[in-house]
Amino acid sequence: MKRTTAASCGMSSCHVCYKLASQSAHQCPRCGASMHQRKPGSLQRTLALLVTGCLLYIPANLLPIMITDQLGSSEPSTIIGGVVLLVQLGSIPVAGVIFIASVMVPISKFAAMYYLCWCAAKEAPSNALKMSKLYRITEFIGKWSMVDVFVVAILVALVSLGGVLVIRPGAAAMAFAGMVMVTMVAAESFDPRLLWDKMDDVNE
Amino acid sequence: MQGDLQGEEPAEFKLSSQHLACPSCDSLIDTSELVDGDTATCPVCRGFLTKFTSDGVSRVISYATSALILLVFSCAFPFLSFKASGLESVMTLPGTAIMLYTHGMTDLALLVGAFILFIPSLIMVLLLLFYIPLKLEIASPWLVFAGRSVFALQHWCMVDVFLIGVIVSLVKIVSMATIILGISFFAYVGFAICFTLALTNTDRLQCWLAVERVAGNQF
Repeated sequence: MKRTTAASCGMSSCHVCYKLASQSAHQCPRCGASMHQRKPGSLQRTLALLVTGCLLYIPANLLPIMITDQLGSSEPSTIIGGVVLLVQLGSIPVAGVIFIASVMVPISKFAAMYYLCWCAAKEAPSNALKMSKLYRITEFIGKWSMVDVFVVAILVALVSLGGVLVIRPGAAAMAFAGMVMVTMVAAESFDPRLLWDKMDDVNE
Repeated sequence: MQGDLQGEEPAEFKLSSQHLACPSCDSLIDTSELVDGDTATCPVCRGFLTKFTSDGVSRVISYATSALILLVFSCAFPFLSFKASGLESVMTLPGTAIMLYTHGMTDLALLVGAFILFIPSLIMVLLLLFYIPLKLEIASPWLVFAGRSVFALQHWCMVDVFLIGVIVSLVKIVSMATIILGISFFAYVGFAICFTLALTNTDRLQCWLAVERVAGNQF
């Protein structure tokens, strides 16, 4: 499809209010936000945050996410351990939700973001439309990984029956929350326009 | 704006003030022919651009007000209670964050509190501060600040995610004990609905065009 980009007209668009202004402007004339034609250092930032997220994902899986103290004996459980336990108890749908939110979503998000960065930097995307869709999905599902952290927070607040039954949060909860936040910022700092720029360069 | 056009432009293309650059592919799109209820989607990358509703401002104000009222209710009453072997424990909404704090995880407590309570309520207050002057057509001095803060914070509220978390944890422990849903739970569900509706009716382009109209020659 034939298109005219703002960049080719010497304009840049404000990321807060979509105001078009000359690319020499440093501040948006409408909302005062700082203006850039493309997000500055987009690929470097995204990759750095992705690596951080991957590193945080290791302790998030190895350390216990919550500890159940029942009548004097304490039993730590990891994310995968919790899923396995739910499957054994027969609650397959809940096990599915936890597995998708805490294992599938983060891993596919890492893979998708690395792939998008690689496409924007090296290999021109064969289909920028599909890549844009992939980016939008990645951006949308980001916060849903937090489900597991909230489940821990709710169980900790709800289940505290003195010495009989107490649930305590584990160190993995913080690592996991950190991982989710870092990858959310990573998705936000990626600039999908780079994919289209790359495709335009190849077509010319 | 015409003066900024450069030589390599196709002759038939004229950049007007109604043009918008798609935030995800940078294509220029004319949005001048939108009528009430229309949604504009980028023809190149199929990304959402803007939805034009003539009563958008009033909708946001009413949803945000209802959301704030429901949020007060959902903090004031028990959220869930848990009964097992003759003992009972009651959980309140702020309790989710406070209990993490008492277990020594201050950082996680702050994050959870911010994501489910503090940022959502802040956004609702900012939306009211932003939209009420727009409705009354007063160029209040905080208008631009409130608008920018709303868009900076909107990705960081996890009201809907928290509700899914509540359902998952209920299913997890329902076999262990008796669970009673409190008034706060239902108030929070209502809050989540109003909150989501307020944010989906907040349209980036339309609200900033309204700011431009209200503030007039200031820009």
